[in-house]
Amino acid sequence: MDSAESPDGKDGKQRRTGIGWLLRVLSNPPAAAAAIAAFVLWAHFGSGIHAFRSHVPSAPGWQQFRASYGVDDFGADGYFTRAAQNGYNLFYFTHEYGGRFTRKTARDAVNSCAGCHTVEDLAYGFVNSDRFDAKLGRRMSFEERVMRCYAGPMNGFIPTLYDPAVRDIRILARAVAHHLQLSEGARKDRS
Amino acid sequence: MAALPAKLLKVALIVSIPGGLYLLGVNKHAERGALRQAAVELTPACKAKLQDYALRPGGQYRSPYLKKMTGSWSELRGYSEEDVRAIQRGCNIVDDTQGQLARDGARERWNSTRYSRSTHSSCEHCHQGVGDKQDAAGKRLVGSNGLAASWVMADMYDRFTGLLLPYELRQMQCYINSSNGFKPNAADDLLRDVTAYSRFLAAALDVKIGNRYPEQGMDEIPASATLRRGDDYVRGAYMYREKCATCHGPQGLGTVVQGRVLYPALAGAESFSFDSRMNFARIDTVMPGFICRNMPPGAEGSLDNQQCRDIAIYLSTLPRPAGDKQGPLVAAWQQLMMTVMPPLTRYAESLGRNDTPRVPD
Repeated sequence: MDSAESPDGKDGKQRRTGIGWLLRVLSNPPAAAAAIAAFVLWAHFGSGIHAFRSHVPSAPGWQQFRASYGVDDFGADGYFTRAAQNGYNLFYFTHEYGGRFTRKTARDAVNSCAGCHTVEDLAYGFVNSDRFDAKLGRRMSFEERVMRCYAGPMNGFIPTLYDPAVRDIRILARAVAHHLQLSEGARKDRS
Repeated sequence: MAALPAKLLKVALIVSIPGGLYLLGVNKHAERGALRQAAVELTPACKAKLQDYALRPGGQYRSPYLKKMTGSWSELRGYSEEDVRAIQRGCNIVDDTQGQLARDGARERWNSTRYSRSTHSSCEHCHQGVGDKQDAAGKRLVGSNGLAASWVMADMYDRFTGLLLPYELRQMQCYINSSNGFKPNAADDLLRDVTAYSRFLAAALDVKIGNRYPEQGMDEIPASATLRRGDDYVRGAYMYREKCATCHGPQGLGTVVQGRVLYPALAGAESFSFDSRMNFARIDTVMPGFICRNMPPGAEGSLDNQQCRDIAIYLSTLPRPAGDKQGPLVAAWQQLMMTVMPPLTRYAESLGRNDTPRVPD
């Protein structure tokens, strides 16, 4: 049966005409360029989708944290500072900012890294990483520990080694270790 | 009925090929595990370095270097036997990446030559003193590319890659560009052991995370640090003949004696690629900095800034492997030049041997 003869034949024809018009417009190079530019502007300024934005949302307590731990030592803004800020968000609000890798929700009592660790523990953990773990019988990197936290205590999934969900936690640990002026193998009980 | 054996054969083939590959993988994995447990035979330089820094298994680590330089101890977490072996292997890789000092180079260096097209390259060439170059008094030398100082400053923004560059990715770049090779996996023992060694150095030298130390990277020399007489490759060629050719060869092809690299190639197929940061044509400050601070061995610091830049620009005019960014045409051209130029140059130089300009005494 021809769609034009169906009860919604008129709609189908209109839709086809609309798609045809859109294809005709997009096959015109200047119009296609304008459409891409419009999409980019919308995605960046109007969509509100974090993936399209290079700045990191300011979670509660960040300003106090950056002052307390001297994050500005790496610049008031910049790639490293933004990564450290994202690390802060992931560390204190894991269920919100690392939601892809945890099943924990706002209703859970322990729903973030901060539920078990302090940020200083994280820094000490970083300078004591890449060591042999007797329980696992092999050497463990800091990144692997973070990945295991997502899969285990956070009841979630394992991010890849390069995912910002892992990298930015490491960078947060670096920033705090710098503030505490830690050297490799520094022990909390001796500081 | 006759179809049944054929069918069975087909199924057996389908099962045995992936099964065989799986068993091969299991075997390789077990072999790696056994290698991690095996005692490490250190190179002479690593033996001396790790002995100086008192690396041994134990619950706590106290650095003799720190005691010597500051008069005080710092009690740090010690190393297990597995950690010690990883550090030892990392030191060996830095000192002898190609495994020329090893009994079984491929096994003892985690098959590192698989990731390097150059048969000369070794971490030690750029990271001298097994990544920790010091003067006689134990002072770390400015611009000596120290690994410990690099480790504490890893993860910073890198303008060339546009990344917050982790230590492992930086090592990958060394394999790709400086060794004109391929990148190992980020979790490969080859990279992890070098990281373990670098981190041990950081403990031994008591360098702090995120601090800048003068031995980190090269002490780069921009044109503004010269009298601005222009970087002249003819002047550079003359300086190269005078100061560098004795070791690196008249055409920069390196010196190999009985299969051992004594001095690495600075040009030609065994050299670093176009994309290496050592290539003056790519970054015009790194190689001059390296030359001024580290060359010639035993007379470091004897060349002035302009001379270092002249030598570096001269080196950049010699044929070398194309990098990833150059594309197939440039790669083919460079291959041709690397093949044709050395005999041609030798011939041309033999014709004009007496025309070499001399500086009056």
